[in-house]
Amino acid sequence: MKSINIKKFAVVAILLGLIGFAFAPAADKIVVKGSDTLVILAQKWAEVYMKSNPSVAIQVTGGGSGVGISALINGATDIANASRKMKNTEKEKLKARYNTLGVEVACAKDGITIYLNPANKVKELTIKQLSEIFKGNIKNWKEVGGANEDIKLYGRENSSGTYVFFQENVVKGDYAPSCQTLPGTAAVVNAVTKDPAGIGYGGAAYATGIEICKVKKDDNSKGSIPTAETIKTGEYPITRYLYMYLRNKPTGAMKSYIDWILSPEGQKLVVEMGYFPVK
Amino acid sequence: MKRISLIALILVSALFFKANAQETTVLKEKISEVDDKVSGLTERLATDEADLQKLAKIKVSGYIQAQWQNYENLNTQPANFFSLRRVRVKFTYEAADGIKFVLQPDFSPGALALKDAYVVMNDHWTKTLSLWMGKFNRPNYEVEYSSSQREIAERSLIIRTLYPGERALGAKLEYNPVNVPFHLQFALLNGNDGLTIANSAGVNLNTNENKDIDNYKDIMVRATYNLSLGSFGGLDFGAHGYFGSLKSNAVNTLSSDYATVTSVKIGDAVKRNWVGGEFQLFADVLGGMSLKGEYIAGKNATVGYAPVAAVGTTAAVPGVANFQNNFAGYYLYFIKNLGKKNQFAFRYDYYDPNTDVTGKDVNVKKFTPTDATVLKSKTVGKGDLATSTFGFALHHYFDDNIRISLNYDIVQNEKVGSTAGVSNLMENYTKADGTVVKNGLDYSKNVNNNLLTLRIQAKF
Repeated sequence: MKSINIKKFAVVAILLGLIGFAFAPAADKIVVKGSDTLVILAQKWAEVYMKSNPSVAIQVTGGGSGVGISALINGATDIANASRKMKNTEKEKLKARYNTLGVEVACAKDGITIYLNPANKVKELTIKQLSEIFKGNIKNWKEVGGANEDIKLYGRENSSGTYVFFQENVVKGDYAPSCQTLPGTAAVVNAVTKDPAGIGYGGAAYATGIEICKVKKDDNSKGSIPTAETIKTGEYPITRYLYMYLRNKPTGAMKSYIDWILSPEGQKLVVEMGYFPVK
Repeated sequence: MKRISLIALILVSALFFKANAQETTVLKEKISEVDDKVSGLTERLATDEADLQKLAKIKVSGYIQAQWQNYENLNTQPANFFSLRRVRVKFTYEAADGIKFVLQPDFSPGALALKDAYVVMNDHWTKTLSLWMGKFNRPNYEVEYSSSQREIAERSLIIRTLYPGERALGAKLEYNPVNVPFHLQFALLNGNDGLTIANSAGVNLNTNENKDIDNYKDIMVRATYNLSLGSFGGLDFGAHGYFGSLKSNAVNTLSSDYATVTSVKIGDAVKRNWVGGEFQLFADVLGGMSLKGEYIAGKNATVGYAPVAAVGTTAAVPGVANFQNNFAGYYLYFIKNLGKKNQFAFRYDYYDPNTDVTGKDVNVKKFTPTDATVLKSKTVGKGDLATSTFGFALHHYFDDNIRISLNYDIVQNEKVGSTAGVSNLMENYTKADGTVVKNGLDYSKNVNNNLLTLRIQAKF
């Protein structure tokens, strides 16, 4: 049976056309939340930007990439900082709530750094060895040329983008149950500093007062630590982009802020803070 | 004197060293005690952490939808009332990497029901396949889109008709390749979930939905692809098909035009096949908007029963033919975000349960059997009329967990035309005071079926 009311369709179309012009006004308060790896850089960006743009208020907090992306989905933040790419499940949630696929802005590069205690004889590991160590298959430092001592693993919580990136790109399996999870990269560095048998991972910017382990792609390649050069050439094997995720294409104050972050001035701060520029 | 002094010194020194040695012993004992306590605490902490890790594998989520509705349909009494539409708690247990159990009961008053109960196993090797088994949502866009997220209060009429209760018992294989935005679902289902299959006494034979009613298994396939449109947004599109059968309990099958009757054997398959195409367009325009639509057409079926011969004083009951109706329907959504907290949604949804008859055919006796004691005649009825619904909704997201929605549905029935010698379709309705109004609902005009819903949803 066929029956379609064309007149009502026309009324509805006009109504929808009117509603189509409604949009959110751009705010001068920007809330930034997410990656703990990025938090010190994000705070620096905000601090410097607000000095030259006093009408803009930028509030920055950490919590982890997963926490930031969740906040973006539920409207609690304007920018989600993430040290990993947004997952498909997260994109689906954003679609369902805001009808957009989100905007990804690569704002810096990072080399995931392997932290060792300075007392550790081991100074170099391959990706495969790191995988076996964090899976718990290599349990003693003597198995990789170190002292006869049990390996103590320190890592991040599963809401951390670094946790996810390191798992997907290095561990390629489940972390050993003995891996102690800590709330932040600074805590990982601190734990390894105090533990001669400790090993941890995290952002390059946090690697102060600690031994940085050289990483080799395989047995035949040269070991390297994350530097501007090794990151740029791709020689350092655990390199990643750091992202800012937005719900919509930025406008107004948000657009100006993002443009500034990607400008030479914003990217200069990237280097100053121990990260690596996007270009 | 000198000697006495020396002895005294030795004695004092001995006493001092004795005291000191005693203190050292006490200290050692204390350290040992503290060490034991720390070891004990460490051990307890390790046990607690292990327990906590087990608990962390259990995720509890859920939502409550409380609502007030006002029905404009004259036959709905009471016309307005408060109700709990959903009271659901979902338990997800990740037993191991790639293995998940899901249990979701609904605690709605007077209607406690198990909605989801399934196991998902992901393959460890390619990480692209997952096997589901149990009771889960049928593979269809609107079915799988949770009502806690849906922008219009209820699913489209065509989806509610084809997939009653949304869930079905069976097994499903999902293929999600890692680097290609393509998704494939293939399900094998009992196919009887939510159906009413009456016998000659009017008793529903399909009351045990934990068991199939026949050996026929229904197949559902859905494939979708996510196409990126760059900074504009994205387009998801796909298709799904349902290929199923019900066991015939009748000896005849009547086709959609009410004219063609064929003989079938009891136990033969009565086909229920349909296909649909879908799209979802997401555009980053003025704060975000989307257009979503789906068109489905095919052949559905209801199962009749065989004639029952007279026994003793019990009269014979004529049989009812199986009925295979050609149907078509679609829905189209327009959703627009109004800032971060508000959202507007519109949906037009259309469902024609029988595309082979028109409004003019209602009340026309289309099928008259040669022997009325063997098979009942068939007349085109209200159930063949098409329905179109204009749904409007405004949502306010109070915070992360609370959504307040105002929804208004304008429901329109297909008008019944006048056919010479055939009476119009009229129905009685009952007023709130119990008075019956004869022929008060006239289907030659629109019978008001509009519905206003005010809903508050709490999600956790």
